[in-house]
Amino acid sequence: MRNWLGPLAFGLIVAAATAYAAIWSIPYGLMNVAIERLGQGGVNTMSYGNLATPERQPVVRPSPDLAYSSCPYDLSDGPIAIDVSPVPGRYSSLSVFDAATDVIFVRNDVEAGGKPFRIIVARAGQAVPKGTEVVRTNHDHGIALIRLLLKEPAEIGGLDAIRRQSSCGTVTKLK
Amino acid sequence: MKGWHRYAITLVGGLAVGLGAAWAITGGGLSGGAIVNGPWTTSLGFGTKATDPVTRAAVARAGLLALPAKETVYWSAKTDAAGGPLDGNCRYSLSGTPLDARWWSVTIYDEAGYLVANPANSWSVNGANVALDAKGEWRVTIAPTRPAEGAWLPGTKGQPFHLTLRMYNPGKAFRANPAKAVLPQIVKEGC
Repeated sequence: MRNWLGPLAFGLIVAAATAYAAIWSIPYGLMNVAIERLGQGGVNTMSYGNLATPERQPVVRPSPDLAYSSCPYDLSDGPIAIDVSPVPGRYSSLSVFDAATDVIFVRNDVEAGGKPFRIIVARAGQAVPKGTEVVRTNHDHGIALIRLLLKEPAEIGGLDAIRRQSSCGTVTKLK
Repeated sequence: MKGWHRYAITLVGGLAVGLGAAWAITGGGLSGGAIVNGPWTTSLGFGTKATDPVTRAAVARAGLLALPAKETVYWSAKTDAAGGPLDGNCRYSLSGTPLDARWWSVTIYDEAGYLVANPANSWSVNGANVALDAKGEWRVTIAPTRPAEGAWLPGTKGQPFHLTLRMYNPGKAFRANPAKAVLPQIVKEGC
């Protein structure tokens, strides 16, 4: 039995280190899955998702009351710009998540004064156009998400044109 | 048995135990939060940089891309007012007064947090589509079959369910004391 003391102590250390590493990496792994699932329409472009149904649930706990538009982003080739057009008189918000699943930016329609706005998402040190609000991040990857609340699912027909005015894309001009 | 055999065995065992522990520790879901109000639980730390690695992993598993509390408070219920697990075979009355928020909704999910097909194609009620009675209260029946009258949120026979209450832009009074806020009642009426 004494022969096992060393191996057992070793096993405990392995278990603790494995648990810590796994807990630390779970958000990154799940974010990668979400980027993959939401990125069917492409990276650095806004996809205007259909309403959540049992057949279409790209992420856990989707709200059937929300029209989600998503832009999975990759900043390795430069910053991206996100343009948001709120729908008058109803809740909408832009939230930007980094690769660790942390929220790095949130703005709702009231905070935006009900007006369209643009932000740039850039890594530390990347050159950005002057005069535009910039959100800095330490990760290349993440997801920008626009939520638009619907009173009834049928409303999406009338609101789809407005939500498609929101967009996302790589910054090409720095002026 | 040689010494390195023992180390190999405990290495494999340690890896398995570590992975299992990580999964178990982060499986608390949205109910791993600190604030309890009747059957509802939440944490106001979601979606911020300040959360610890365990909370971040638990939120990533239970509510990836969740908003921070000033934007949305997510309450989760797995039991009724009496503490019994929510059962898709049973009939529940879900009722309350309009909530202190710009918008609110209650959504029904399976235990893993996904929507389940139902004949009404309905998974939620919200502040804009519930009717208020003379006392200013709303009421919804959660049951596997459509109730004789009133609003219906379908449960699924043979499946437990969870409820998520979302409060968008919660009011100041609510944020001052979420544990004492008036939240919807979940009362079992029969099975």
